[in-house]
Amino acid sequence: MGHALGTRSRPGRSVVTMSSITLATNRGRPFRTSNVLRQYVPLLPPSILLLVFFAIPMGMMVGLSFHPEGASTATLANYERFFTDDFTLAGLGRTVLMSGLVAICVTVMAYPVAYFLARSRSRWRAVVFALAIAPELAGVVLRTYGWLIILEDQGFINSGLMWLGLISEPLPLAKNMFGVVVGLTHVILPFGILSLLTSLQGVDPSLEKSAQILGASRISVLRHIVVPLTVPGIVSSMLLAFTMSASAYATPAILGGADFKVLATMVYEQVLFYIDWSFAAVMANVLLVMMLIIAAIGSRLEMRLHKKLHF
Amino acid sequence: MNRIVSGLFRVSIVLVMAFITLPLIVVMAASLSPSSQVTLVPWEWTVRWYGDLVARRWIDPFILSAQIAVLVSLISGVLGLLAAYVVAFEKCPGHAAIMSFLLSPLAVPQIVKGVAIVLFLSSAGLYRWVGTPGLVAAHIILTLPFAVRMIATAMFNFDRNLDRAGQSLGATKAQRIRHLLIPIIKPGVFSGMTFAFIISFNNIPLSVFLVRPGQTTLPITVINYLEYSLDPVLAAVNVASLLFVLAVIFVFEKIGGFSAQIHGGSK
Repeated sequence: MGHALGTRSRPGRSVVTMSSITLATNRGRPFRTSNVLRQYVPLLPPSILLLVFFAIPMGMMVGLSFHPEGASTATLANYERFFTDDFTLAGLGRTVLMSGLVAICVTVMAYPVAYFLARSRSRWRAVVFALAIAPELAGVVLRTYGWLIILEDQGFINSGLMWLGLISEPLPLAKNMFGVVVGLTHVILPFGILSLLTSLQGVDPSLEKSAQILGASRISVLRHIVVPLTVPGIVSSMLLAFTMSASAYATPAILGGADFKVLATMVYEQVLFYIDWSFAAVMANVLLVMMLIIAAIGSRLEMRLHKKLHF
Repeated sequence: MNRIVSGLFRVSIVLVMAFITLPLIVVMAASLSPSSQVTLVPWEWTVRWYGDLVARRWIDPFILSAQIAVLVSLISGVLGLLAAYVVAFEKCPGHAAIMSFLLSPLAVPQIVKGVAIVLFLSSAGLYRWVGTPGLVAAHIILTLPFAVRMIATAMFNFDRNLDRAGQSLGATKAQRIRHLLIPIIKPGVFSGMTFAFIISFNNIPLSVFLVRPGQTTLPITVINYLEYSLDPVLAAVNVASLLFVLAVIFVFEKIGGFSAQIHGGSK
């Protein structure tokens, strides 16, 4: 086997075994190593690292979730506990609701910006693009802290409204779902813009032009041409925003306060405060499976939508 | 009608841009405001919060975060280079499978990776690794896929005919690597390393499981502090660390010259 592979990769044979496009120089790839097994050697350090600090821990965590404290055989008891306990079910519900709201907010806010970036030729385009992407360089902590200053009880909005005499009690803007949705929308918006931008750039502008020439109003061009053609982009931006918010930790931890617990913050508490590792593993697995299911649905849906659009 | 629509369109873009920039402006204003109350236009301003940064409480976590980010960036660069080299240049079976293995950590939420690593370290009797070694290892798991992808993209863009031309002109393998391969893939390597640096320096969801007293990274220190105070010194910490990240990007760009790659042109 090793010998057979060895001959296959010998430079002289490369014209046959690689592609017919290869030039007659008989040297397919630059800087090529001759022995097949030796080719894999550089992969060892990264693979060992991934194995030790990713694959094995993940396997261990999945195993641990079936072995609650004191159980000698594998059991589903912990999963049963997860899906019957009101506390964890409420956390799961909050996670889904929060992520759904963020997905809608991100997509609705990102769409006009992405459309502008895809079509505009004005000098403002570069400014908008820079402003849309730049916040990614600032960490989540900075941005979440900013929202906390704006939204909390003595914050920017509440003290302003109270000073104007419009309200007498501060509005509950932070330390609840509202605050978390605002914060997460802000964190994820640049990704939504980039994802929709790719999709909008794929729509031929001459379609819009011809519709306009034929007398369609801007709204009907958007409604009947641009939006239908970018449905795959809209779906993928929503799924991206959903998965990013369902797995976000810092924003819910800071802006959610003590009462607003989602899966990600519950996992952390389970590990560090309750020290019930097996149950923490169950929560983490539920979150992981949720992500994987959404990713699978997403790729299926995208494929079907693509086929539909491109006949 | 059309005019109303384009007016609304413009207004919506301005509003979204305001939404995006507002928290950043507020933090900058807060870092210069003398009271802990942030007003829209600070009538007075002060830099004393920045003076307060020179305290061990902030300097120690900053140094730890920077050290970890430098290590993570260097190791991701080297490991990413090794992996991308095999995937992009070696004609070996299964390189699609290798690539998906290398990118697989991306499919797992950070918080889940964090739990898995901390459970692993505790059950494997490696609990003393919690702290700097664990932080570095965990961050590399997070950054390696990005580094591999960016470096592999740069290598895929390497035109094989350049190498053939060099060879037919009599260049040795070492010369071709030094004068052809390295200059062409350098921007990819440096953008991967910059990415790794930023991700590691700002990371929360993995670090939160792996810090220990006396070995706490800057973002975790800030979060812990935020729980009981909105002290403007936090604004100063955040602005200073943002400036630090920008400076690092600038330096990496000067060495690696990757902005040319991002804009799709060549220098």
